Amino acid sequence: MAGHTGGLSARMSERRTARAASSDGSSDGDAGTALWLMAPALALYAVFTLLPIAATFWLSFNSSAGFNTSASFVGFDNYAKAVYDPIVWKSLVHTFLWLAYHVVMAGGLGLLLALAVSRLRITQVFFRTAFFLPHLVSLAVVGVIWANIYDPFFGLLNTALTQVGLGAFTQGWLSDPALVLLSVNVASSWQGFGLYMLLFIAGLQNIDRSLYDAAEVDGADAFQKLIYVTLPGLREVTTFVVSLAMINGLKGFATVYVMTNGGPFYQSELITTYIYRLAFQSQDHGLAAVLCILLSLLAITITIVFNRWRARISQ
Amino acid sequence: MSVRNREWPMALALTPALILILAPFVWLVISSFKTEAEIGQADPFTWPADLMWRNYLDAWQIGGFGDLVGNSLINLIGVVVLSLITCAPAGYALAKIRFPGREWLFYAFILGLTVPVQAIVIPLYQVLFGLNLVNTLTGIVLVQVSNGIPFGIFLMRSFFVGVPDELIEAAKIDGASHFQILTKVFLPISTPAVQALVIISALSTWNDFFLPLIVLISPEVQTLPLGLVRFASTYASDYRLVFSGTVISFLPIILLYILMQRRFTEGLTQGAIKG
Repeated sequence: MAGHTGGLSARMSERRTARAASSDGSSDGDAGTALWLMAPALALYAVFTLLPIAATFWLSFNSSAGFNTSASFVGFDNYAKAVYDPIVWKSLVHTFLWLAYHVVMAGGLGLLLALAVSRLRITQVFFRTAFFLPHLVSLAVVGVIWANIYDPFFGLLNTALTQVGLGAFTQGWLSDPALVLLSVNVASSWQGFGLYMLLFIAGLQNIDRSLYDAAEVDGADAFQKLIYVTLPGLREVTTFVVSLAMINGLKGFATVYVMTNGGPFYQSELITTYIYRLAFQSQDHGLAAVLCILLSLLAITITIVFNRWRARISQ
Repeated sequence: MSVRNREWPMALALTPALILILAPFVWLVISSFKTEAEIGQADPFTWPADLMWRNYLDAWQIGGFGDLVGNSLINLIGVVVLSLITCAPAGYALAKIRFPGREWLFYAFILGLTVPVQAIVIPLYQVLFGLNLVNTLTGIVLVQVSNGIPFGIFLMRSFFVGVPDELIEAAKIDGASHFQILTKVFLPISTPAVQALVIISALSTWNDFFLPLIVLISPEVQTLPLGLVRFASTYASDYRLVFSGTVISFLPIILLYILMQRRFTEGLTQGAIKG
């Protein structure tokens, strides 16, 4: 071990000399120490994240009918099966819709409230705290809460609509196939917007005050200041919030699982809920693994696209 | 235009939004004090004739909320402590020590930051099964720590990168090792990063549903969100139990937040931006 470490640090000092000019804040090249400092994190991460990532690929080329049965190699059969499975396509479409709803509703509400709240001085902390409250509730608990809000008989929504004379709008919010995905997403977005609002508020605080003074000197009104100063100043935060909202949306599971379990007629099935159904209920691990890879590819694509976009903006 | 002139019109304009957004909480709390009959007939926001504290007692006992809260607390403390022990040294190594393979490790952690945990759930379950950790709090702690490691390392690393190298040089002259530099120099001046890591890992652990759903099968090891969902589906028709049980599930964290509002807000925004 000592010899190995010595060899590494010798190699390191060579590298250090080679890179002396391009220092990025590093000060020493003790590779052995680095390894020991990384060891606890690496061990856990390797066993519970990296190994499962690799194993998911392997699983997608195998067929197995449960956790206790042995797998057999089937090549691309699972992938072919995925292409011909209509629920796979449904869950994919629903996932895209789900992301769009979440970005527009949670991100949009976060932005609007941030713009309003950041103008307050005396009552700002009060409004910020109050608007953030839903974000503290577990998405599973949010599912339970909103399942009761949407309850056709005792639910808050239908009762309130009836009482304000809008009884014509009452409906089975979770039983209508055309409405169910949006209804569940409203619950998720109610929980999610608070964090986006905080991020937008932080972004607003970073806009250079003098830009507003300059705009005022040029005779800009409030609306023009919003369009020409505030919104451009928020571009970087916006890309960050949109990517965060999409990644969060992609992980969406708990509200759907609790409120509808994907129904009615698979109309609220997402990729994540279908993975769970396949893996833990119908025990089709091969097909589930293909969906896992699809989900990972979506997440990686979103991350890369938004990082590029952000890099271009901050130039 | 003075600030004061703008304050109250804006606050007034925001009040309808406030009412709409907080209505679910108010409705649940009011309903949780009602009798079954009152829930069935009256206006959703009518005050109950008598405050039915019994609902809470019943829900607490029938739902076994004492055990659920206990399990959630053990889970939370385990994850927060282990996250600090794993992420702080690793973040330090990535920020301040040059070693071969550093770039590759960096990419490996980015992969973990990106890939949703739902995408690796089958092998994850198999690993836990192989290690005999299914249905144990140890199992859920280890999985959640691993899941949070990429973010935690990025958070600590990006904070440590900003600490001047001169501090390390000075400590080295005094004969300090890297481990001592980390614990005696870096961590004491890193309160904002540590605070962000604690708040973010605590909140996400407390609220996690997916991983506990996979790992914690028996009711006696389950955490609060999982237990509430089981409770709410078992007693779906007993609204007063469901309502008071739900209030028990969200009230503690909301009170804690109201008390520590600034720390939460700072921690979450810091964490999001740095990580």
